[in-house]
Amino acid sequence: MTRTDQLRARLQQRVLVGDGATGTQLQALGLAPGECGLRWNVEAPDRVRQVHQRYLDAGADLLTTNTFSGTTLALAAYGLDGQADALNRAGAALAREVAGARAFVLGDIGPFGGLLEPLGETPPEVAAAAFRRQAAALLAGGADALLVETMSDPAEAQLAIAAARDAGAACVVATFTFQHSPSGLRTMMGSDVATALRAAADADVVGANCGTELSLDDYAQLAAELVAHAGGRPVIVQPNAGSPVVEAGRVVYRTDPAEFGRAAARFTAAGVRIVGGCCGTGPAHIAALAAAVKPR
Amino acid sequence: MTTLELLAQAVAAGKAKDAKALTQRALDEAIAPTEIVDRTLVPAMTEVGDKFKRSEIFVPEMLIAARAMKEAMELIDPRLAAAGITPKYTAVIGTVQGDLHDIGKNLVATMWRGANFRVIDLGANVPPAKFVAAIQEHRPHLAGLSALLTTTMPAMAETVRAIRANAGVPVKIMIGGAPITQQFCDEIGADGFAPDAGSAVDKARALVESVP
Repeated sequence: MTRTDQLRARLQQRVLVGDGATGTQLQALGLAPGECGLRWNVEAPDRVRQVHQRYLDAGADLLTTNTFSGTTLALAAYGLDGQADALNRAGAALAREVAGARAFVLGDIGPFGGLLEPLGETPPEVAAAAFRRQAAALLAGGADALLVETMSDPAEAQLAIAAARDAGAACVVATFTFQHSPSGLRTMMGSDVATALRAAADADVVGANCGTELSLDDYAQLAAELVAHAGGRPVIVQPNAGSPVVEAGRVVYRTDPAEFGRAAARFTAAGVRIVGGCCGTGPAHIAALAAAVKPR
Repeated sequence: MTTLELLAQAVAAGKAKDAKALTQRALDEAIAPTEIVDRTLVPAMTEVGDKFKRSEIFVPEMLIAARAMKEAMELIDPRLAAAGITPKYTAVIGTVQGDLHDIGKNLVATMWRGANFRVIDLGANVPPAKFVAAIQEHRPHLAGLSALLTTTMPAMAETVRAIRANAGVPVKIMIGGAPITQQFCDEIGADGFAPDAGSAVDKARALVESVP
């Protein structure tokens, strides 16, 4: 039984716990704002391992690789596109090393950073090649499944999921980012939950992460919509720790771990199978979440 | 319907080829380029921005309309330039230092161009000193600062401080981006905040027109 098969089997047995934000944890360890976090997969691997270890210790069943902006297209902004393969492979290997037999590794693929033709300047085949290359490097580094996340454009999500499959991913998780609109929750590109999930027809697990001005109550509503439209596939949600506010010049997320844990229990009651965290969440949020949803 | 009415419809519907052909027809009918811009293209894009603001349309529809406007302007710009006519207001815009996200900033730049502002786009990851230098060089009425990451909001505060202290030009400063709020705007002393690219046009107009 491959580890990916084990992941599928575990998902049938019980609710799984994802991890929390990576970037803010790396910044707490000294990564400068605006510095490329992927660089640390090679240059400061101990600190990336430390972040994974904290989440594992908090009770995460899934560790997400530090490779969010890891397509050649996104890395080009830092002049690091030439190192894409090495940075992604190292990122997956670090998470795999920490996870051992205790957790599964999700190879993280975020948006490529631009807009696809005809709306934007990037030809679909160029984006597809970039996603495929990242996916292959993540799998080579030991990712057990690939996570296509924070998607707004259904066309981009579809491309990334297909690229993950082409690269050989046996399990693909796809999540979209929603915001409020007068006609309900939609992505920035205007897709409602049903439309977004149709674009993710080829993903094994579907759901939502991050979001603009979404409270945990909004996420409970979103969770119910996702479950209703997932066609029986497992649903994942990874919300922010509420919306950020500014206190004395510092940006803070006010949702405390206990509140996050209580919300997680609501999501799983609505049928969600994986709960993790996005912006503003840390190991304490994941610990509270694990305590709330994991059987003892 | 008149040529200009058809042109307004073509732009609002994002029909770039029609917009181009109708602009040519309007010019052939000897309609003044300034009239095409002020009475047709700008109001058409304002309507698009209003619909976006009300979430009746989304980013794709807005971008397609902006592209239609751009096609029209490519025919009009040379004539305006030949007549020595420049837009009344100038803006510089950029994403602040440490932040590489430019989709939101690009949308606002597009909508400001649609409102007939001259827009100088400084790109992403723009250090405070580069904003200051661009403001000194172009003497804009408006400076737009964008941030998507909560971690780069402090860089926005720093940029506002640098502009106020060093630019030596009375420029209005507008900020925006997913995590930005009016509260943050007040706290860092920016002049205005807009929650989306449609509202950013109204706010920009209000700010530049508030200067006597």
